[in-house]
Amino acid sequence: MSNMAEVVKPVASLMGVSKTIGSKTLVSDLTLDIPPGQVFGFLGPNGAGKTTTIRMMVGLISISKGDILICGRSVKDHFEEAIANVGAIVENPEMYKFLTGYQNLRQYARMVRGVGKERIDEVIKLVGLEQRIHDKVKTYSLGMRQRLGVAQALLHRPKLLILDEPTNGLDPQGIRELRDYLRRLCIEEGTTVFVSSHLLSEMELMCDSVAIIQNGKLVDVKQLKAVGDSIAVSSVETLFDVDNPQAALELIGRGQLQPGGIVLEAGREEVAGLNARLVAAGIKVYGIRTLSRSLEDQFLEITGGEGIV
Amino acid sequence: MSEFTSLIHNENIKIYSRVRTWVMLFILAFISVLFPALFHFTSSGGSASLMGLWENFQTTLTIAFFLNTIFTVVIASDSVAGEFSWGTIKLLLIRPWSRSKILLSKYISLVLFSLLSTAVMMLFAYGASLIFSSGNASANVGSFTAFEYAMLDVLCSYFEMFITAALAFMVSSVFRASGLAIGLSLFIMFTQSMFAMIFNPERYAWAKYLIFTHMDLHRYILSDTGPAGITFGFSALVLGVYYLLFLLVAWYVFRKRDVAA
Ligand SMILES: Nc1ncnc2c1ncn2[C@@H]1O[C@H](COP(=O)(O)OP(=O)(O)OP(=O)(O)O)[C@@H](O)[C@H]1O
Ligand SMILES: [Mg+2]
Repeated sequence: MSNMAEVVKPVASLMGVSKTIGSKTLVSDLTLDIPPGQVFGFLGPNGAGKTTTIRMMVGLISISKGDILICGRSVKDHFEEAIANVGAIVENPEMYKFLTGYQNLRQYARMVRGVGKERIDEVIKLVGLEQRIHDKVKTYSLGMRQRLGVAQALLHRPKLLILDEPTNGLDPQGIRELRDYLRRLCIEEGTTVFVSSHLLSEMELMCDSVAIIQNGKLVDVKQLKAVGDSIAVSSVETLFDVDNPQAALELIGRGQLQPGGIVLEAGREEVAGLNARLVAAGIKVYGIRTLSRSLEDQFLEITGGEGIV
Repeated sequence: MSEFTSLIHNENIKIYSRVRTWVMLFILAFISVLFPALFHFTSSGGSASLMGLWENFQTTLTIAFFLNTIFTVVIASDSVAGEFSWGTIKLLLIRPWSRSKILLSKYISLVLFSLLSTAVMMLFAYGASLIFSSGNASANVGSFTAFEYAMLDVLCSYFEMFITAALAFMVSSVFRASGLAIGLSLFIMFTQSMFAMIFNPERYAWAKYLIFTHMDLHRYILSDTGPAGITFGFSALVLGVYYLLFLLVAWYVFRKRDVAA
């Protein structure tokens, strides 16, 4: 894994990026490589600096210190070449309300080369807006605007898709579709997706890796898929819900007492074995639950459970 | 990357897809027809009814230009400020185009609108003047025929509007507030003659560098010099400097601005 990362050139590299406004440092010395072909999550509590970082990546705000390369081109010095590889949503995608969804997409299509009618129709179909695309955007619901936002970001087949909280306002169906779509994009077209979100469980389902940011500083970068793949072999915290926890604890010889049962680390096969032993010893097992630590727990642990800073 | 003309096309769509633009153009056309008709019907054998075609045309346009300036200033003020208040600026600036070019496309579309609105006005005023004028030939004005005089008059009014629109465009780009841009530009449009009177260049030497002293170019049609011996060339130079300054400030601020929130 680490070998591959060295060989493959990152799609985007943030190199010691800082943003200061007045005396306030919003993002400080952020260094991060986004490897190609991944869905890369960007996680942090409210006010951590996610949107600020994304604004710098797409050139909406200046970079106080450091530089950002996209496909090897500096956003600072070669903005047009760098941004040509990017499709983005920054916070809510606001569109021209007096135009139809279709006319909005035409606006953005005209600003790049090689996006014809077929591509526009393709993208509309992809985000499921065929029914309403010729209505004025002012008649759209929040989720429909979000879908239109995704559509404009995808229009020119960008190498890097930057989405700031794209699930905001989407219904469960929409979230699921977006997730599936991002995965497909990643696999079929090799698009790299950089996505920030508040929904931690979403990130878990969607991302290969996540970078965690807090107070404008990078706290951690985690590989998620690696964890997910090895779930079958590695041991997981498991709760055995039994009628006599004390007896169960003595029988197994490890674990912790908890109201309603005992908790211990066990692999998949081990759990089955333990269950058989408990039953054989006449202990009633009402239920077995894995208490796998979700990303949310890890996240809260890493960021110290702090709220808005 | 696509053509620069498609940026202008985009800006034009933003202007002409809005109902209010068409309402403005309709009102301009209406006013341009209304005044020749009023002159015709309200004057009972008085001097007005004897107005020739071009006098009628010129008087109508003098009035209609106030409205034309207001509408052009509204378009100019919304051009940049609108994108900020709608939040669409975020999606506009993340395209493979420099901010300078995006601003330029906005400015060009504004100039195109001002030309169109002026053309609409002239066309309707001419048509109405044809219908509602007495058969009298228009009298010459100075060394000009009535037609020449009317055209020069329109040109001067257009330049005044052109400068006012550039000011509105600058304020809109700097403060991202269309209300402020509209208010300030119209204030200057309506008060410039008053300021020109108060800061009379004959009394204060420095007043000949004020924009107010020069905005009204009409006086040069019939006279070679303005107050305090200012020449047309000097006025044109001062206006040119102000104009460049407005656009430069707009461009500088727009290019540097952090687009947050
Ligand atoms: N223009 C600004 N001037 C000063 N401070 C700002 C400005 N914009 C944002 N901030 C501050 O910068 C910090 C980071 O904001 P940012 O919007 O990047 O957070 P975020 O991680 O996107 O949060 P959220 O999850 O709520 O979207 C916040 O503390 C915010 O108050
Ligand atoms: Mg944010």
